[in-house]
Amino acid sequence: MRPTSSHSIALIALFAALIAVLGVVPRLDLPLGVPITAQSLGVMLAGCLLGPRRAFLVLVLFLTGVALGLPLLSGGRGGIGVFAAPSVGFLLGFPLGAAATGAVMRALPGPIWLRAFVASALGGIGVVYLCGIAGLAVVAQMTLGHAALGVLIFIPGDLVKCVLSALVVRTVARGLPQWERHLG
Amino acid sequence: MMRSFYLEEQTWLHGLPAWIKLLVLSATGTILFAGNGHVLATVATAVAVAVATLGAATWRTLRSLRGLALVLGLILLFHGITDSWVIGLDAAARLGCLAVLGMLLTLSTPFGELLAVVEAALRPLRVFGLPTERAALAFGLMLRFIEIFFLRWQQLDEACRARSGRRGGFRLLAPLAIQVLATAERVGDALSARLGR
Repeated sequence: MRPTSSHSIALIALFAALIAVLGVVPRLDLPLGVPITAQSLGVMLAGCLLGPRRAFLVLVLFLTGVALGLPLLSGGRGGIGVFAAPSVGFLLGFPLGAAATGAVMRALPGPIWLRAFVASALGGIGVVYLCGIAGLAVVAQMTLGHAALGVLIFIPGDLVKCVLSALVVRTVARGLPQWERHLG
Repeated sequence: MMRSFYLEEQTWLHGLPAWIKLLVLSATGTILFAGNGHVLATVATAVAVAVATLGAATWRTLRSLRGLALVLGLILLFHGITDSWVIGLDAAARLGCLAVLGMLLTLSTPFGELLAVVEAALRPLRVFGLPTERAALAFGLMLRFIEIFFLRWQQLDEACRARSGRRGGFRLLAPLAIQVLATAERVGDALSARLGR
C-alpha cells in the first residue's frame, strides 16, 4: 500500500473524525468512577494503529479543523484562539507524540499489548508532555521546572490511558487480524 | 452537532474579507509577543473597543472563553505569589487578547471562507509537491464522518445499556476503533476505484 494512496487518505480522515468524536463523547468513566477525557487517548491509538507518518497527518488534519473554528477539542473548544491558550504546547505536541508512538510501536519487539503500552507512554506522555511543558513555560512565562510541576498531576490519568490504549490495540488486533500488517 | 462558533447575527466584522482578518490576527499575535508593555496596553484597548462595538450576541459567544479565563487567573495568581503581579498580568493579558481575537475571527467568518483562504495560501506549496487536493478531500471526509461515528458511538452505548443496564464508557472504545478501521478500508476501496490510485 503506497503511503499517499486512497486507503491512506481514508484512514487518516476517518481516524481524525474518531479523535473528534472522542472529544464530544460526554466522558469515559473508569471503573472507579474517575472521569477522563479520551482525546489524548486518540493520539496514542492513532500512533499504535496507523504508524508514525499517517498518525502525524491524522493529528495535523484534526488540528487544522480546530484552527479553522470547528469545536472539536474536548469540551467543545475550537477556533484559532485555542492556539493562544496555555495548553498550546500540548496541542502542537499531539502530532509529534502520535508520530513518536507510531515509531516506537514499529520498532519494539514483544507482545502487542506491551508494545502498545510502552509506545503510548513514550509518545503520548513523554513527547506530548515535553512539548506541553515547553509551551506552557513560553506562553505563561514560567521556568521549565515550574511548568513541569504544574502539569504533573495529569500524569496518573494519562498512564491509565496508556493501559486503555494497550487494551484497545490488543482487542483491535484480535478483532481485525488483517490489521497486523499495519501494526508491523 | 457540527455547529461551529460562527455567529449568524451580522456584525461589522462579518463584512471584512477573511484574509484581512487572518492577516490582522497573525500580525497582532506577532507584535503581542515581541512588543513591550505599551504595545500590550494599546492592543488590549483596541480589542476591548472592538468587542464593545460588536453587540450582545458576540458577548454571549465570548462566554465560551470562561474556561480560559480561569486558567489565566491561575497564571496571574502563580506569578503574583512566586515573583510579581506585573509579570502575571502581562502574561495573562497577552494570552487573553490573542484568545479573544481568535474567537472574533472564528465567530465572524464562515467556515467555507476560512477554508478557501487556507487553500489559496497553500496553493503555492503545490510546487513543492504538497498534495492540496488530497488534503481537501481528507478534510471533507473527516467532517462527514465525525457525525457518522458519533451516531455509531451512541448506538454502541445504547446496545451496551440494553445488555447490561450500564453506560458503555471505555468498553466501547475498541469496538468503535474496529468499526472506524473497517469503514476506512471500505471508503479507501471506494476512493481508489474512483480515483484509480
